[in-house]
Amino acid sequence: MPLRRLTRLCTTALLAGSLLATAACGVSGSEGEASDEQPERTGKVSGQITFRTLQLKPTFTDYIQGVITAFEKKHRDVKVKWEDVPGEGYNEKLVADAQAGQLPDVINLNTDSFQLLADRGRLADIAALDPEAKGDFIPGAWDQYRLPGKKGVFAYPWYVTPEILTFNKKLYAEAGLDEDKPPATVEEYFDQAEQIARTSGGQVAAFMADPQGRLPGDWQKMGVPILNAKGDAFTFNTAKAVEWAERMRDLYQQGAMPKESLTGSQDINQLYGSGKLVFGPGSPGFIKDIKDNAPKIYAQTAVGEAITGKLGHIGIYTQSLGVRRDTKHPDAALEFAKWVTNGPNQVAFSKKATIYPSNAKGLDDPYFSDKGDGTDPETMARVIGAEELRDAQLDANTPVQWTNQVGDAVNREMHKAIKGDREPAEAVKRAEDAANKILATQQKQQKQQQKQ
Amino acid sequence: MEAEHGLVHRRWWTPYLFLLPGLGMVLTFSLWPFVNTIILSMTDAQILRGGTFTGLDNYVRALDDPAFWTALFNSVLYTAVVVPAVVLLPLALAVLVERKVPGIGFFRSAFYTPVIASAVVVGLMWQWLLRSDGLINTVLGRLQLISEPLPFLTDSTLLLFSAMIVTVWKGLGYYMVFYLAALGNVPRSLHEAAAIDGAGAVRRFFHVTIPSVKPMMLLVGTLSAISALRVFTEIYILGGESGGPGGDSRTLPFLIREVGLGFAGETGYAAAISILLFLLTLVFSLLGHRLSKGDER
Repeated sequence: MPLRRLTRLCTTALLAGSLLATAACGVSGSEGEASDEQPERTGKVSGQITFRTLQLKPTFTDYIQGVITAFEKKHRDVKVKWEDVPGEGYNEKLVADAQAGQLPDVINLNTDSFQLLADRGRLADIAALDPEAKGDFIPGAWDQYRLPGKKGVFAYPWYVTPEILTFNKKLYAEAGLDEDKPPATVEEYFDQAEQIARTSGGQVAAFMADPQGRLPGDWQKMGVPILNAKGDAFTFNTAKAVEWAERMRDLYQQGAMPKESLTGSQDINQLYGSGKLVFGPGSPGFIKDIKDNAPKIYAQTAVGEAITGKLGHIGIYTQSLGVRRDTKHPDAALEFAKWVTNGPNQVAFSKKATIYPSNAKGLDDPYFSDKGDGTDPETMARVIGAEELRDAQLDANTPVQWTNQVGDAVNREMHKAIKGDREPAEAVKRAEDAANKILATQQKQQKQQQKQ
Repeated sequence: MEAEHGLVHRRWWTPYLFLLPGLGMVLTFSLWPFVNTIILSMTDAQILRGGTFTGLDNYVRALDDPAFWTALFNSVLYTAVVVPAVVLLPLALAVLVERKVPGIGFFRSAFYTPVIASAVVVGLMWQWLLRSDGLINTVLGRLQLISEPLPFLTDSTLLLFSAMIVTVWKGLGYYMVFYLAALGNVPRSLHEAAAIDGAGAVRRFFHVTIPSVKPMMLLVGTLSAISALRVFTEIYILGGESGGPGGDSRTLPFLIREVGLGFAGETGYAAAISILLFLLTLVFSLLGHRLSKGDER
């Protein structure tokens, strides 16, 4: 075969494959919405159930296996099949399994996957099937597993991380700030960032510029109403939200934030760990990471209470255990989920990882109130986090209507405002218009689906 | 005779039996997802929520969506810049490393190294180079060529061009191997005859080498066009999850992912954009095919 014909043949074959792959990328079909009918309990705890966790192997293999073994010993007729899935693509795998009718009986859910599966009627109503469970959990965690417009609670809260404040006290002092007076409001946070930018001469930054993890939390803490009372329209286009964008723009220009941190392409742990950032992430888990990877910076780290501002709430991020709505063994699945999330098991887990129990009894363990000598950041993060959790109200961070599409649309406009490419007032207005357009489309689709 | 007839009778379907496993794979993993995407693109389906038939609504919506036009423009610009570079630079590189001189293997391997490096590693490495406090800005600053760091990663246009540089750099070694194979097939006698006629190295390159590897250039052009239209990783790593500041550096695959994933992921609309991307890719492919055919004549 002549070379040219061979080349053409190869081209055609390669093209066909590439084109088909292009057209099919990332998209899959979807089946009809499941009904809201709940499983019936029989009182017989038996059968083989599957339990899926999110990236807990190999670090916590012994702990999880121990919990499973103890459960199987207590309930001889139950066999638990444990599978652990990496974090990358976890939600996509759950969606694929849900489409194929292959969801596990007990599923570890993060906020996104919980909302997705609960909204589509794939999870059992825990409150209906296990009415006494409510009393076991801290209210802030339990209430996270409700959905607007739906009656019921669709998962057992599992481990929790509350929002805290972490900062480099050495850099803080060098900026002329008092480590005993960390910011309590967003406005104070911005004031301090301005002082850091002014005094450091561009050598250190105060915090990251990317608005993605900060909104709508910052706005809520500033008293900006995110939604109207009915929850069917965004109302954040206010003077306060514009003030937020203006201050972010000014701080960005002054060098209070690393330039490339605007798009979230820089690693905050790496920046903080190299002593180039004053405020670290507001998560206790980060403290351990700094302790392991940057001991010098760990020694300079101080921990404070989360910024609450006018909202008065703290943000909490929870993991949960959902039960597949059409499980063949509802009693075994519910009892197992309840077992994993009980007080003693959650406390034991918290002692192995930087997490907190969502179980109210678990939080009473002395482990969470022992301050030691009051200087170790990891110990202080644990104590402060636990104190906050006892009073935690609803998650301050993200209403269900603030979907990732809404967040992306708002972020895009705020990027432009922060960079100085668009007037902050115009950017906030455009952000609200875009968010309302997305919300209206979603509500229209939901209504159409409900009619069918 | 009967036995022979039986043997013949069995024979007609035997080949099809061997084809079945492969055919099943192709139907399941290639053709069905493709057909399903076309069907899905005409519905208002969301993730885990079956949609209703909406005809061409999603296509009309895309044509009215500024984000789609921005992404389309970026994808076409990306292709228009990357393809000529990827067709020509690896050829020049192949000509340089084709000669059998001591130590040339080292250079061949070195040029190929970026190809086997993970896209994430490559992206992070370039991020460190291109940051405002990165190596490139630092060197330019020290040489007093710039007074302010160049915003390679925070300016939408510069970000797009930075990603193009990464794509070209990563593709150099890959396509160099294609050209090395093609150069190996150019008859030495042609070069010798041209040399006898008094043609220098440059003339021989344009009048002997280029015509001989033209089919390969068309193949490289078509393949790199398809890759450029599907670019995602470089922009994601350099510009973050938002697709650069304000999302202005998003390409079509970026938009498909953004629209289709997440709690409110609109699979129907994402499928429609996928089909539009498919059509765009088809245009580039047919163009390559046409050029290839014209060349044969």
